Amino acid sequence: MKKPPDNTPLKNYRVLDLSRIWAGPYCTKLFADMGAEIIKMESLSVYDSHRGPGSPARGIAAYPDGEPGDEPWNRNGWFNCLHMSKYGVTLELTKNEGRRVFERLVSISDVVIENFRQGSLERLGYTYEELRKHRPDLIYVSMPAFGNTGPWKSYLGYGIGQEQLSGMAHMTGYRGEGPMKSGINHGDPITGSHAAGVLLAALRYRRKTGKGMFIDVSQQESSVALMGPEVLAYQMTGQEPERQGNRSGWYAPANSYPCVGDDRWVTIAATNEEQWQSLTEIMGIPGLSDDARFATVEQRRANHDELDEIISKWTISQEVYSVTQKLQKVGVPSGPVLRGPDLLKDPHYQDRGTFVTVDHPLVGPKQYPGIPWRMSATPGQVRWPSPTLGQHNSEVYSELLGLTGIEIEKLDEAGIIGTKPTGSRII
Amino acid sequence: MPGLLEGVKVLDLTHYIAGPYCTKLLSGLGADVVKVEHPTRGDGIRWLGPFASGNSEIPSSPSFVKTKMPPEDGAWFLYLNTAKQSLALDLQSPEGKRVLLDMAAKADILVENFAPSGMDNLGLSYPEIREINPALVMTSISNFGQTGPYRDWKASELNLYALGGLMNITGEPEQEPLKEGMPLAQLGAGQNAFAATMAALMYAEETGEGQQIDLSIAEYATNILENALMQYSYSGQEYNRVGNRGYGRAAWGIYPCQDGHVGIIAGPDHRWPEVARIMNREELSDPRFVSRSGRLENADEVDAYMLPFLIENNKLDIFKSGQESGLGFSFVATMKDILEMEQLLDRDYFVELNHPVAGNLTYPGAPIMPEESVDAWVFKRAPMLGEHTKSVLDSWLGYSDKQVSELVEQCVLIQGQGG
Repeated sequence: MKKPPDNTPLKNYRVLDLSRIWAGPYCTKLFADMGAEIIKMESLSVYDSHRGPGSPARGIAAYPDGEPGDEPWNRNGWFNCLHMSKYGVTLELTKNEGRRVFERLVSISDVVIENFRQGSLERLGYTYEELRKHRPDLIYVSMPAFGNTGPWKSYLGYGIGQEQLSGMAHMTGYRGEGPMKSGINHGDPITGSHAAGVLLAALRYRRKTGKGMFIDVSQQESSVALMGPEVLAYQMTGQEPERQGNRSGWYAPANSYPCVGDDRWVTIAATNEEQWQSLTEIMGIPGLSDDARFATVEQRRANHDELDEIISKWTISQEVYSVTQKLQKVGVPSGPVLRGPDLLKDPHYQDRGTFVTVDHPLVGPKQYPGIPWRMSATPGQVRWPSPTLGQHNSEVYSELLGLTGIEIEKLDEAGIIGTKPTGSRII
Repeated sequence: MPGLLEGVKVLDLTHYIAGPYCTKLLSGLGADVVKVEHPTRGDGIRWLGPFASGNSEIPSSPSFVKTKMPPEDGAWFLYLNTAKQSLALDLQSPEGKRVLLDMAAKADILVENFAPSGMDNLGLSYPEIREINPALVMTSISNFGQTGPYRDWKASELNLYALGGLMNITGEPEQEPLKEGMPLAQLGAGQNAFAATMAALMYAEETGEGQQIDLSIAEYATNILENALMQYSYSGQEYNRVGNRGYGRAAWGIYPCQDGHVGIIAGPDHRWPEVARIMNREELSDPRFVSRSGRLENADEVDAYMLPFLIENNKLDIFKSGQESGLGFSFVATMKDILEMEQLLDRDYFVELNHPVAGNLTYPGAPIMPEESVDAWVFKRAPMLGEHTKSVLDSWLGYSDKQVSELVEQCVLIQGQGG
């Protein structure tokens, strides 16, 4: 196993990571970005479902050139963008030999994290109390959909559902139409990021006091936390928030406007009078800057439809990047709606190294989202591609636990570890 | 107990949304967070409603801002600034700057979300701050980051959502791309800034070496595109808007019901018979619908068979009938639904906070709760403008009342109401 670079903030921490899909893995991705040693543990019978089906139809999930290949579970971009710089091991917790290995791993880990359905690990006999017998100062992060207590504790939830149950979807949508989901499973990264920060506070607390703790994450509560202002607003006004499309309750105009090309859009938002005046000047429409219909923000909000029509007429003959440049030059908040190809070749993101090219043995070199911030003293780096199923079994079990080659081989023969899945459970 | 981060000193130069959410998490965990605000304008978000007093006035012109003190009871300010202290200080004045530098020398963390040139213009660039406190963690949150060709571009949430790639994949394919209703790019960037700040703090405490964190909100958005970006990166195939249907899915998304909207999740495949049973439609058991790809091919037909049941039943019943059968159904919660949700109430999620102007309100509590034996979070209302000027200058710098009065006379700071 590779020693993490010295100048990484979390190099002294080891996380035993049983989490899957996105919420938990995003938390441990942030940890891996900052140098923590992440042991991602999967079961051969129920591997991380983000790896995709064992024998998928072509075109489902993100495979290189659309080809699932011989080992589709190792070639799925969904999985491979979230587990870079982590170690991948397999282990069957349903078998006694597997349990002994697991318990030894717990004993040398600072953190255990999982986002199974509530009670899953407990049914295998692993409560926090039990885990602490193997590691007294363990921090155990458990993140079921609705937390570990309450009438809904055993309910299932995914990122897409948390958008709805937190109220986010209620506020998203075109004006006068129904609620709309986002293009991602937005609850997942929200929970993962909250968990990463709180887990760091818990590690710091442990460093001071020697005490571990049990951290009960409700993915739903984590998402509702971002709805706070609207929860207060509702109590103040007695009104549910209206879906406003791309408009703002605070300023106008704000919307996405069509440009030259198929499905090309520029977003424009004038957040104050000065920006509104700059927008009218750059559009060069005579009389617009002192048109009484648009003289104040209230009037612009009231006559937003007409305003949108005027702005659309101006943008429709322009190219998205060049109209943005024009608007930015005079200080009007604006930006193209970037699509996949735009993102990967955008000059700003290229300049900042936002996306990194990583060479995965079964995929080849591809671009991935990198570390989501820059640290001047501890820059960090993507150290290796996401592990194939069970890729680091030998390294982890021999170097961390001191198992001999023969012992590891026996585990392999007994089907307790391995690299070939024996089943898959995909939602 | 006073929270997990008791004793950590945070100098908070943030305003509006992204920065304040980061420092809200720090103050919530018990850090000593001092929010520096302009003595008469305050955090710009103080001016944005709705307000508890019912005043929905929008500050439409700069003159509005100059003529009176900001309201104390805006929903956004109240939520994003819980458990912080407010120091009303004029950073443009030389005396004000000196106070700030004295505080920076004592702080463990400084968080700011000015435009990238903002701190330089105040004479508070990272190299200058590092001179006086090499162990300080300075977290800089900005729209596009401290470097790069778009560094100085102006952006609202809408533009960040567009440039971050999230917008292209939200909304109906035949309509314009859509942003989400909540400013989740800014709030999410604030979350990530909190995690990064915590890691840098631990490193600084171990090594004595501070650093600057450069966090871009647009870049944050590109980091959570997941499938949408990877599909293109891997296969060259673009990921497009699909409205309320999951990408490459059917019976997977938001549907209308009797009293609102529900989320149907038809999966995994072996659970599909349960969906058919709940919806009480023989037709849904058709072998054509049993697999994910089969449902996708016949998506409209599947919807048509599900709708009669959905329209006749209420969201909570549909949600529970799915969940009781092991299906991850959901429903679109309104604010009222959230405040009344039995799960949240059972877990004591909400906290009541009383504010001298805004009165009693119910706030969402901790986003994540450690076990009860650990007092991880503190719950206190947001500060009035300048409410803690005197107490902070005393506790951080040992200023006497006389020193504070002199600075007040010079209009460098204001001791506000409240407390």
